[in-house]
Amino acid sequence: MAHPIIAGTSGERHLLLGNEAIVRGALEAGINVVTCYPGTPSSEVPDTFHRIKDGSYYFEYSVNEKVAMEVAAGAALGGAMTMVTMKHVGVNVAADPLLTMTYTGLPGGLVLLSADDPGCHSSQNEQDNRYYARMAGMPCFEPASAQEAKDMAREALLLSRKTQQPVLLRTTTRVNHLRGPVTFDERPAPAKIVEFERNPRRFVPVPAVARVRHGELLKNLESIRDVAENSPWNTVRGEGRIGIVASGIARSYLADVLAEQGWQDKVSVLELGMSYPLPTRLLEDFLRNVTKVIVVEELEPLLEKDIRTMVQDLGLGLQVYGKCEALTVQGEYSTTSIQMALAEHLGAEAVSPVCFEGETDLPVRPPNLCAGCSHRAVYYSVRKTYGDDAFYSSDIGCYTLGILPPLKAADFLFCMGSSVSAGSGFSRSSGKDVVAFIGDSTFFHSGITGLVNAVFNKHDLLLVVLDNGTTAMTGHQLNPGVDPKVLGDTCVHLDIESIVRGCGVTEVAKVKPFNLKSTMKTFGEMKAKSGVRVIIAEEPCILYARRALKLQRPQAAYVAEQGPETDAVLNEFACPAFYRDDDGVQVDESLCSGCMVCMQISKNFKARKRSA
Amino acid sequence: MERIRIYMTGVGGQGTLTATTLLARTALDQGLDVVSGEIHGMAQRGGVVESTVLLGGWKSPKISHGEADIVLGFEPLETLRGLPYLTKGGSVISNTEPLPPVGVSCGRESYPDMDLITDKVRGCSAKCWFLPCRTLGVEAGSVQAGNIVLLGALCASGLVPFGPDALEAAIRKYLKPSLVDMNLKAVALGVAKLAG
Repeated sequence: MAHPIIAGTSGERHLLLGNEAIVRGALEAGINVVTCYPGTPSSEVPDTFHRIKDGSYYFEYSVNEKVAMEVAAGAALGGAMTMVTMKHVGVNVAADPLLTMTYTGLPGGLVLLSADDPGCHSSQNEQDNRYYARMAGMPCFEPASAQEAKDMAREALLLSRKTQQPVLLRTTTRVNHLRGPVTFDERPAPAKIVEFERNPRRFVPVPAVARVRHGELLKNLESIRDVAENSPWNTVRGEGRIGIVASGIARSYLADVLAEQGWQDKVSVLELGMSYPLPTRLLEDFLRNVTKVIVVEELEPLLEKDIRTMVQDLGLGLQVYGKCEALTVQGEYSTTSIQMALAEHLGAEAVSPVCFEGETDLPVRPPNLCAGCSHRAVYYSVRKTYGDDAFYSSDIGCYTLGILPPLKAADFLFCMGSSVSAGSGFSRSSGKDVVAFIGDSTFFHSGITGLVNAVFNKHDLLLVVLDNGTTAMTGHQLNPGVDPKVLGDTCVHLDIESIVRGCGVTEVAKVKPFNLKSTMKTFGEMKAKSGVRVIIAEEPCILYARRALKLQRPQAAYVAEQGPETDAVLNEFACPAFYRDDDGVQVDESLCSGCMVCMQISKNFKARKRSA
Repeated sequence: MERIRIYMTGVGGQGTLTATTLLARTALDQGLDVVSGEIHGMAQRGGVVESTVLLGGWKSPKISHGEADIVLGFEPLETLRGLPYLTKGGSVISNTEPLPPVGVSCGRESYPDMDLITDKVRGCSAKCWFLPCRTLGVEAGSVQAGNIVLLGALCASGLVPFGPDALEAAIRKYLKPSLVDMNLKAVALGVAKLAG
């Protein structure tokens, strides 16, 4: 049976994840092309497109965000209604083409989904990508519910098709990962492909063209401002003399606080669902009817500063309140933080909610490399070879979890692909040994250019490509290194070793991490050399091996003898399948994957057939 | 109707997100307004998994400390850790069978005493129930059914505006046919445990 997201008809109501709702919205607009690079919290958008595809649109997992953006922009130039999806930091990678395609415009229409992550639930920073709307000149929609996620995705695509300007659909983790009822509208036939009319004076932004196009962009944004003035998502409610302007998911927190505290009559609320270009006439009317205004927006004070400017321009004697002790530029807002901030202005008591003291010092559950993860075996070998003598340049993926003791295999990290290049600079300036780690998908994403640079500039580091054959951290998406059997006939498998050699690396070795002896030997040999060296550690992700490749190992490990040596394995290898009870160290057979690395470390561990 | 906030907490791999979605669908099929939230990403790798279901017209998918009418604990240590979310007069339903964190497994940290957990829960909730979900799940047919045992208990508790029959209907409608009987049994075991 076809998935309701693709087969559902007008009037049907389904409980959807925010990210699934975005997919439905795109289908209701008539989407033609979707590109992406996966990353939490955006990943369910491309994964849903991939899972339910019915031939009505083209979909690809691109190799990185810049590439995804360029393929998408090219498709939109070629006349397709296009969506490109990524997490917030991905937009940094894609920013170069983005900031120029808003000048040329794109006849087919293009929506960029940027999934921001206030609170850094699964990211290295919490940047506010509403800045990109302003910097690139993109209209910006900010949904706060599943229904809005669907409706705004559709509206954004239709607006982009109509105006030929790229549009930003900006979500935050809470919106991507909420579930709510969504009432469907009709799904039309795919949008018509707009015939490309050759026009280098528009589409080739040499300086003379770019100057003119910048003016066109500003004109287009002015006319799109009218759309924002009349947008059904920019609404005023209530008649109180205290004004509140809210955007994004903060609109939901605010609504719940007002309802729960019975404060609705005391305030007027302007909700900005389409937050850029700013609807200045709507705002002016609003500001003229209130005695003070409080701006409620997560992360950066962008609306707050715009409103301060407006108040000054209009000569209004109005106090503007925004960022404060309860509402900071850091992390997520909550009903509590908004209630505390409002209480002061409404003359209510700033009641902090009844809280039961939490227990302190409870054992924590840090996310850990899985039992049977080959990264653990690699890190163990590296630690045994280098100890603390080397500095470990990490990258983005499951393997960053190697940061934890006892493996301690991450000393620094910036972003996707930085392991190679930051490692190069670090070893050059410090003179220390550097071992850099990068996963297969990240290697394809942006490791290759760093590697070319390392060879070209004669840097000195050992790069370990942790090739587990999939994009493990974000949910096993396809990448060029994936097993050809899984890729099928729509994608082509690329061989990492050939690429590494093609980049000019001469010291290349391949290891099977579960063969501990030969892995350690290879690390020892590479340690003795200098220059750019690459070890490719090949072993499928254990979860992926089970699910996609249907591999299962019939034997599990057990502890045959206790003693200091057994304790050392527990302490130094620290597989999550190990536990300690009154009899000593044990292996939980239900967790043991059968990788048998522990047996190679100590003869006190032995293998046996699984009991069930 | 009354508005209800349910905070759910457990450990990656327990199936708490499956349970969360099933509960939200059950509520929606009963004609209730519902919004649900989850935070994952690292969940699969043994981390804490927190999720929410809010019934009756709340807009936020998130619950702050002191706001949850119900805390559903899929693992006892996580129940204890999640208690600050409970509102005054709120209720708790919790599994009693621990999944030790890695520090406990390796003997570096100790798991809190179960009596301390139950005392603490009793001390701050209006009503509370404790069930051996893992054991009952195995009795129903699989460890993974333990989370449905807990949902069965929730639906029998009178805390939500629908009973176990609504949950059973959702199980028949949304789960794979091969998993329906086992999960219906899990509901029955949760309901029986609550009654007994």
